[in-house]
Amino acid sequence: MTGNRFHLGIDVGGTFTDAVLICEETGRIDTAKVPSTPADPSIGFMAAVARALENGAVDPGAISHLVHGTTVATNSLIEGKTPKTAFVTTEGFGDMLEIARQVRPSLYDVHFEKLRPLVPRDLCYEVPERLDATGSVLKALDEGAVREIAAALRTHEVRSVAVCLLHGYANPVHETRVAEILREEAPELLISLSSSVCPEFREYFRASTCVINACIVPVVARYLAGIEEGLGRAGLEAELLVMQSNGGVLTAEQAASKPVFMVESGPAAGVVSANFIAGRLGHADLISFDMGGTTAKAGLVLDGRPRVTKEYEVGAQAQPGQGMTRAAGYPIRTPVIDLVEVGAGGGSLAWVDAGGGLRVGPRSAGADPGPICYGRGGTEPTITDANLVLGRLNPDYFLGGEMPLDVEAAAAGIRERCAEPLGLDPVEAANGIIEIANATMINALRLVTVRRGNDPRELTMVAFGGAGPLHANRLCMEMQIPTLVVPPSPGTASALGLLVTDLRHEFSRTRVMAADAADVAGNGFTARIRSLFEAMEEEGRRTLRREGVAATDMEFRRGIEMRYAGQSSEVAVTLPGEAAGDGTVGGLDAPALADAVRRFHAEHERAYGHGYPEEPVELVNFTVTAIGRIARPRLPRIGSNGRGISDTQRGTRRVFFSDAGGFVETAIHDRAQLSAGHLVAGPAIIEEVDSTTLLHAGYRAEVDEFGNLLVSPGGAP
Amino acid sequence: MPQPESRTASSVDPVLFEVIRNALVEATEEMSVTLQRTAYSTNIKTRLDYSCAFVDADGRMIAQAFCQPAHLVTIGRLVPRAVAEYEAEHGEGTLGPGDGLLVNDPHRQASHLNDVFLIAPFFHEGELVGYVANCCHHVDVGGGAPASIGAFREIYQEGIILPVVKLFDGGRLVGDVLKLMLANVRAKKEVAGDLRAQHAANEIGLRRLSALWQRYGPETLDSYMERMIEYSERRLRAELAELPRGEFAAEGCLDDDGITGEPVHLKVRIRFDGSTARFDFTGTDPQRAAPMNCNLTQCFTACVYVLKCLVDPDIPLNEGFYRPIEVVAPEGSAVNVRPPAGVVGGWEVAMRLCDIMFRALADPMPERVPAGTKGMICHVGFGGEDPATGEYYCFLETLAGGYGGRHDADGPDAVQTHIQNTQNAPIEETELNYPVRIHEYSLVPDSEGAGRRRGGLALCREYEFVGHEPTFTTLADRARFPAHGLHGGCDGKVASYRLISGGDARNLGSKATVQLATGDRVRIETAGGGGFGPAHERDPDAVLRDVREGKISRARAREAYGVAIKPDEWAVDLAETDRLRGGRR
Repeated sequence: MTGNRFHLGIDVGGTFTDAVLICEETGRIDTAKVPSTPADPSIGFMAAVARALENGAVDPGAISHLVHGTTVATNSLIEGKTPKTAFVTTEGFGDMLEIARQVRPSLYDVHFEKLRPLVPRDLCYEVPERLDATGSVLKALDEGAVREIAAALRTHEVRSVAVCLLHGYANPVHETRVAEILREEAPELLISLSSSVCPEFREYFRASTCVINACIVPVVARYLAGIEEGLGRAGLEAELLVMQSNGGVLTAEQAASKPVFMVESGPAAGVVSANFIAGRLGHADLISFDMGGTTAKAGLVLDGRPRVTKEYEVGAQAQPGQGMTRAAGYPIRTPVIDLVEVGAGGGSLAWVDAGGGLRVGPRSAGADPGPICYGRGGTEPTITDANLVLGRLNPDYFLGGEMPLDVEAAAAGIRERCAEPLGLDPVEAANGIIEIANATMINALRLVTVRRGNDPRELTMVAFGGAGPLHANRLCMEMQIPTLVVPPSPGTASALGLLVTDLRHEFSRTRVMAADAADVAGNGFTARIRSLFEAMEEEGRRTLRREGVAATDMEFRRGIEMRYAGQSSEVAVTLPGEAAGDGTVGGLDAPALADAVRRFHAEHERAYGHGYPEEPVELVNFTVTAIGRIARPRLPRIGSNGRGISDTQRGTRRVFFSDAGGFVETAIHDRAQLSAGHLVAGPAIIEEVDSTTLLHAGYRAEVDEFGNLLVSPGGAP
Repeated sequence: MPQPESRTASSVDPVLFEVIRNALVEATEEMSVTLQRTAYSTNIKTRLDYSCAFVDADGRMIAQAFCQPAHLVTIGRLVPRAVAEYEAEHGEGTLGPGDGLLVNDPHRQASHLNDVFLIAPFFHEGELVGYVANCCHHVDVGGGAPASIGAFREIYQEGIILPVVKLFDGGRLVGDVLKLMLANVRAKKEVAGDLRAQHAANEIGLRRLSALWQRYGPETLDSYMERMIEYSERRLRAELAELPRGEFAAEGCLDDDGITGEPVHLKVRIRFDGSTARFDFTGTDPQRAAPMNCNLTQCFTACVYVLKCLVDPDIPLNEGFYRPIEVVAPEGSAVNVRPPAGVVGGWEVAMRLCDIMFRALADPMPERVPAGTKGMICHVGFGGEDPATGEYYCFLETLAGGYGGRHDADGPDAVQTHIQNTQNAPIEETELNYPVRIHEYSLVPDSEGAGRRRGGLALCREYEFVGHEPTFTTLADRARFPAHGLHGGCDGKVASYRLISGGDARNLGSKATVQLATGDRVRIETAGGGGFGPAHERDPDAVLRDVREGKISRARAREAYGVAIKPDEWAVDLAETDRLRGGRR
């Protein structure tokens, strides 16, 4: 293999660390899966690197591109393992983090606890100064007070500090000066400024974003430095890139200074991967469905772009039925690929509640003890146990046969815990568990589709994760999603996303102004907006240049977040247009703005059922996405292996289908034997090492030239 | 333990049951998201003061998504009444697809006038199936002061009264009704925008329900809705069987009624008999010609809320949950008001009822009941002519306070309590949109009720008005009667409402409407929560942490908790603490 160059992606998850290795020249893919090492994730990381290199027989020096997805940032927050961090704000507002949103996370629980602030009150400092909402200085900064704070921070041995002054989004002058003074007085401090991390209004959310950044800067910087050192020792010289929550990558150096942008690094990779897989098939609008051991995650891609949200809470799991009651996690206002996560994974528990209702999730048996059928001490039935009892999983071919499953124990557990209390037989109960889990997942799918005004009948689903392909066909049936794509090796498909994306940096500024000012010629309105965009683009250009991106590979996308004057929820609209010579996209003359406003009305109508074209519109946030294009690996197309479809069959098994009202003798196919052009008719099961695809009657799966299973309604050929 | 569902008892499929139940709640959640995202007033879009629900053709609550527990029974009680009244006037069956009924009259069992309800009938294949409805607290509905809060004698001073009228007729907006309403309110843009959002939310709800009815058919859904009601009732009765039986009483007072200085006396006797819960308010003061009265719906809401907190939070709230509850509230009293008394302080009354009901249950259920809380809604409203735009603006917010200590945990600081869970409005957004400057938003140290588990701290908010002379109102309480401590815990600190004008400060009391001058400031400190258990039993290290974090002073640590902190390091002076505590640490 000498001479060839390789791309390597490493995705550290809660249970497993996955590696994907792609040859730049041939497109050949090798994968590896090793257990994660939560105490020091870099051990699992290096083990996955070594295993992947070994599987591909590749020399470390041949790695030309290296990308990492990780949950280390989130985990350190959730586990409270962040170093001593302080908070500096305007006099009168030092309790911003304590007060937070002044609400309870649950309505009827008198034993509730408010979220513990990430900075204790005695490390929250107030500095005399004040700006107004336009950014004008009402009260000058008291520099002496800042110097006193610096001294206190040294006394308390604070490592990292977040600075968020009132209206700092409108004018960074005081925050910048605070940083200068702190740097003079305490050069060892790591400083996060709200005007740099997240210059948007609404102080608590900006402060929270900035504080989270400050808390994880030391952790992430140390973690990434450790990994870079390990890579160096192993002879890997490629620059380490890190996946961000927005689906783009950035250099480890950038990630270490603004780690709040990578809190959802791992899950984002899955959506990017789904987008890549479907994109090659010409599908631009899709649902990514990733079902693993503890949760199922649904994401949305429209027009080839993953949907991104700025309303995210670290450490809070979305649950349908919870309504608007939030404040269960720490809010951040950086772009995060929008995922709805529900507690329905293979390990989710099933039980009967006090009122005689059958319930599934969100509690999970996790990896340890795991489902009953793992035989590792689990006593409560899970979704995996139900799938096994229904004949959908092969007890002798789980993880390629590495882990035999105990069908008897699973059936006994379901009988005792679910079937008998309900007067059902174990198979009916097992089917009930699956139906309820499916209903939960359908709610998640509804949240990302119909609730946001997207018709599922116009979308394609890409299903992956170990358990995804087992449920996806049924979910598509219920949601009337016409096409389902199951990629090869669904268990590691998420990691592929690391290698098929670009460098990406997001910038934003809040300037609230009336959109109709754009109609007034010569008032400098568009010039003001243009200079806002240009300043952000310049920042993006500088960052990309530092990351070694050639000017011809840069692109800058402009967007405006708008609302009807008086509303508080903005809708994002991108400015249309072709890329100019300097890579900027989005015209800025009056017609272009008017067009953007028109699209805002349309988008509002799509999302909420009503648009009000006669109502005045406000421009609120201006955004620039700076992109440094990275060449995608060319994956090879596969041909036909010339085998008849019956040669790919391993035999038959009795599998339960509710539509058939019972067990059906079902063909079992070996995915490794399937090649382009093969057509499998449902009912059928397609088994591979890290996943199982369930195909219902009335559906068929066609193998395409990339090795995907394309599942759609239709009978045998 | 109730009898589990048996197969022979009915043809209910437990799986379909769960699926349909979730789908119905999900439909109301979608209404909720739409309402919040498209609303115009801070009160709805940021503070989430609204709720959405689906009731069946008989007016029985089936599913609801709510942000505010306060609204949790109102829609279910109001809808059947409003529809019956409308049909009595216009003939049965006069409601059709695309209609929308508007109502806010507390004397028709809505809540206070600010809470405006929009009700839309839901038809499937020409048959009436039920109603979607939502309730929004509008920032202004006219009346004697901006934000329509203030101390008035009768309802006619509180704002425009909407009896049951059609705002939508066969899908068309009834422009005259809207015009009449907008002519009577100050914040016209917000009110019009919020009404639009209410309509959009109902439309979304109807769309989702139609899909459901098409999918499962009316027979199946009817039978499952019936089962859902039975399910909630069965689970609640099973819980009631486990609650301590007997009669438990408590009483308490509101500062005053807002017009006279006389406290309003509230009294409750709660009886649990193993399968029902009876809340008897006999002995409560007669209603006043003043704002501090609530109607029967608001009173019932407080009872449902308290019971819901005592049982498994997982029990779905629907008509079945209400069935085992009996409320006895003398007509013409402060908890079951008759026209034409004022009602704008009704939620203040209902909120205090929650504290008093928990107090009644403190002895039989010490582990389930918190000490007294902030115990008020704490409305703050202001408005006037915005010097920047020349337009009339209105602003309303409600301030949090301390929660009560619990047997195993301190009361959280600065949080909304009981039937209220409204978020705060961001200061930056408020200053951007309104001619006000906020100088302080902080915890109030030493405001907690001391205890083994201390109460939560109150919060402080200080306002200054820029370039104009607004009208400012507080409609609140707790300036005289503190949040009670439990089981030897101390009471919390009372609230204060002060006007600072040219160096002078004067107390406004908890209910006041004042005309401010440019540069005047108003400083509000809300109430702290009550403590739980004797303060001298508090872990000295917990006291140390509070002192270190500046939540309580050293002097208070010593006086209230008997804990001495060493002067030169962050450590408890054990010998001195022993002495202060009389040998018991």
